[in-house]
Amino acid sequence: MSEVIPKLFRINTGSCNGCDVEFMPTVLVEKFGVSTLGVEMVEDIKDANLIAITGPLTARSESFLKSAVSKIRHPYVVVGVGTCAITCGIFRDSYAINGPTDKIVDVNVNVAGCPPRPQSIAEGIAKGVKVLNQVMNGEATPKTIDAIFKDFSAPESFRGRMDLNPDMCTACRTCETVCPSTAIKITEIAAGHVHNIWHNSCCYCGNCAYFCPTGAIFSTNSFDTVKLQSEKYEDVNSEIIKSSTCSSCGDTYMPPSRGLLGKGYVHDDVKKLDTKICSKCRKEANFKRMYA
Amino acid sequence: MSEKVEIGPFHTELEESVYFKLEVDKNRIVENVEIINGFIHRGMESLVTKKNFMQNLILTERVCSLCSNNHPMTYAMAVEQIAGIKIPLRAEALRVIADEVKRIASDMFNLSMLTHIAHTHQLMKDTMNTREHMQDLKEVIWGNRMDMSSNLLTGTKYDLDERKIKIILDTLDVVEPKIRDLQERYENDEQLKSKTVGVGVLPLKDALEIGVTGPVARGSGINNDVRVKAPYGLYAYRPEIQPNVSLSLREEGDVHARAMARFGDILEAVRIIRDVVTDMPEGDTYVDKRPHIPAGEAVVRTEAPRGELIYYLKTDGSQKPVRMRWKVPTFTNWEALKVMILGDKVDNVTMILNSIDPCISCTDR
Amino acid sequence: MNIEEFNNAIKSKLYGAYEIKEDVDHYGNDNSWIILHEKKDMEVIAKAVKAFKGRCVVATGYFNEADNTHTVIYHFDIDGMIINVQIDTDDKTVISITPILRSADWAERELREMYDVEPIGHPTKDRLFLDYSIAKGVLNEYISLSKMQMGVSDTDVLWNQVNKGVKA
Repeated sequence: MSEVIPKLFRINTGSCNGCDVEFMPTVLVEKFGVSTLGVEMVEDIKDANLIAITGPLTARSESFLKSAVSKIRHPYVVVGVGTCAITCGIFRDSYAINGPTDKIVDVNVNVAGCPPRPQSIAEGIAKGVKVLNQVMNGEATPKTIDAIFKDFSAPESFRGRMDLNPDMCTACRTCETVCPSTAIKITEIAAGHVHNIWHNSCCYCGNCAYFCPTGAIFSTNSFDTVKLQSEKYEDVNSEIIKSSTCSSCGDTYMPPSRGLLGKGYVHDDVKKLDTKICSKCRKEANFKRMYA
Repeated sequence: MSEKVEIGPFHTELEESVYFKLEVDKNRIVENVEIINGFIHRGMESLVTKKNFMQNLILTERVCSLCSNNHPMTYAMAVEQIAGIKIPLRAEALRVIADEVKRIASDMFNLSMLTHIAHTHQLMKDTMNTREHMQDLKEVIWGNRMDMSSNLLTGTKYDLDERKIKIILDTLDVVEPKIRDLQERYENDEQLKSKTVGVGVLPLKDALEIGVTGPVARGSGINNDVRVKAPYGLYAYRPEIQPNVSLSLREEGDVHARAMARFGDILEAVRIIRDVVTDMPEGDTYVDKRPHIPAGEAVVRTEAPRGELIYYLKTDGSQKPVRMRWKVPTFTNWEALKVMILGDKVDNVTMILNSIDPCISCTDR
Repeated sequence: MNIEEFNNAIKSKLYGAYEIKEDVDHYGNDNSWIILHEKKDMEVIAKAVKAFKGRCVVATGYFNEADNTHTVIYHFDIDGMIINVQIDTDDKTVISITPILRSADWAERELREMYDVEPIGHPTKDRLFLDYSIAKGVLNEYISLSKMQMGVSDTDVLWNQVNKGVKA
C-alpha cells in the first residue's frame, strides 16, 4: 500500500461562482479539515491528480476543458462540485450549456448543493482522495463510501436535502411548478402518483417548501450530498401518493390530504369528515342535501 | 521585442474563468491587452423568459452568488413597479438587512482574495476567518451561506424574531472590532502597500467616461452610489440610514484605494444593519404570495456590493416575462481594466483584475 | 437635474417627432421615457447626455413578432436620474452612439450578439460573450436550433435515467 500525495486543481466551467467562492474557505480555513488530508494545491493542471470541476459547462468552456483534461497524467480522479457540475442544475436546457461535465470527462465523486457547504466540499475532496488511493493501488471503487468527516454538523435552519411527507401531499404539483431546476417530477400511476425529488438536480432553494400549501414538502438540515458517480441517478426521494376508490361511484380519485383538510376545515374535527367519496359524489350529495 | 503572455481561462488565481492575451515588453510591462469573455455565458436572458415568475426568484439569485440577494430583490422590485404594489415597510427593512449582510460578506471575500494574491498570508487568514462569522450568520438565519432565498414578489420570505435579532447583533459585535483592526492593517501593512499602492491606477477622467460604479468609482473619487443618488426601499423612506459615502471615497484610484473603499462600505453596512434591526417597523412581510402580474414594463436600480445594478422587465400578463435584461456593475467596470492594466507589470494582472472585484458570472450571464 | 431641463436641451435639436412620458417610481425617483421616431436622433440624445456629464447605463432590445421589428431602449443616467430612450427599427440597425459615449460600448455590442441589431459605426467587431459555435441573434429564437434538432431536452434525457433507476 503506497500513499499518494493528492494534488488538487480547480476548474470553473461556467458556475455562478457560488461553488468557487465556497471552495476558497474550504481549502484555506482550518476548521474544514482539508489540511488534514495532505492535499497540495498545484498551479499547473499537468501536475494534478485530483480535479475539482464546478459549473454546468458552457459552450465557450467546452473546448478549453477538453484541452485541459488532455494534459492531465493518468491516473486521476474528478470531483464534481455543485449541482451544476452533476446535472447542469438550474441552467439546464439553455442554448449556451453543453454539460453536464460527465459528457466530457469521467467523474468519480459528486457533491450536490447550491452551493454545497464547505463541509460537503471537504467531504467530496476526502472521498476523492480515497478513490484516488484505491485507483493507484489497483483496487476497485466500492458502490458507496461512508462519511469521512464525522464531526461536522449543521444548524437546524440549514436548507439541506428535501423530504416529503406523503400523508400531507395531494399531488397538486405546486412544488413541480415553482421548482426552478426541474428536480421534482410527479407522475401518475395506477395506484396514484409517484412524487420524485432528485437531489442531484436540486438547487436547495426551498421554493417548493415555501409555496407548498399543505407543508408536505420540507427541507431537512442533512448535508449528506456527497455521492459516488455510480449513485448519480439513484439519489432520489421517491414516495407514492395513493389514490382512493370512491365508496359511492367506485371511481379512482385523489383524496384530500390531511394537510389540505386541516387548512380547509380549521374549526371542524377533520376526522368526522367522510373522506371516502370523490369530490364529484360529494358535490352531488351536498346538492341533494340542500335542494332536494 | 514584445513577448506574448496568456493567462487563463483556468488559473488558480482566477476565481472565475476569463482569458487574457497580453503583449509585454522586455521589462515585463504590458503593452497590449486582449480579454476574452463568455466562459460563464449561460444564456440567462433567454432562460428567464422560459421560466415562470416564481422560478425566476431563484434563477436570478443564480446569476451570481456573491450578489445573490440583489438580483432577486431588484427583479422583485421591477415586478412590484409593474403590478403597482407597494410592499410593507417591514419587508423593506428585511430586504435592507439581507442586502447589507451580503455586502459585508462579498466585500470581505474580495479583500481576502486580494491578500491571497498579494501573498500576505496572515492578513488573508484573518480576513477569511472574520468573514466566516458572516457566513455562519447567513446559514443560521437564512439557511445557506451564499444563496439566502430571502426575496418574494411583494415582500420577503423570511422574518426576524427577538432571538434572531440578537444573533445578528451579537455577530456584529464580534465582527466590527475585527474589521476595524483589519482596516488599519490594510492601510499600513508595508508588504501589502508595496504591492498595491500606485498599481492599476484608474484616473478620474477615465473613470467618468467609462461610467464605472461601486467601490471602483469610489476608489477614484466618484460618488454614484444608488442608495444615495436614487434611493429606493428603506433608503428612500428613512434617509438617515443611507450610507455616508465620504467614508468610502478615495482619490488615488489604485488597487489599494479600491480595497480601502470597500472597508468604508463594510463598516457603513455594519452601522446600517444595527440601525435597522434595532428599530424594526411592525407589520406584514409580504402583500401576496403569488400576485397577479399585469402587462407592463419597468426599469429599476439598486446598489449591489460591486455597484449599480439595473433591471429592465417587460411583461404581457402571462406567467413568464417577455423580456428581462439586467446590467451589472462589472459590465461597465470591465472596460476600466484595460486602462488599469496597460503600462503596468504583467505580474500584477491578476491582482488588478481582482481589484475591480470582477463578477464574471454576472457580466457574462 | 430633471426631465424638463433635459427636454429643453434637446427639443430644438431633434430631427424627428418624439414623445416624452414623465414618470416617477414608487420611491419618488425620476424614471422618464422618451420615444424617438428618427434614428439619428439617438446621437442628439447622446450628445446632450454627454454635455450633462451623464453616461449610458445599458441598452435593451426586444423583438416584435407582430410587425417583424425590433425595439431598442437605451438607459441613460445623469447624476442619479434615469432616462429611457426608445426607438423602433425595421431593418435591424441603429446608429452607434459609442463614438460619442464610451460607456455605450458593451451595451451596443450586446445588441448585435443577442438580437442581431447592428449598431452602425461601432468601433469593435469582436464577439463579447457569445461563443462562435452559437449563432448571433439567439434571443430572437425561442429554442436554439441545435437543441430543437435533438427533439428532446437535456432534462428529459437525464430524468429518463433516473426513472430507470427508481423502477428497478
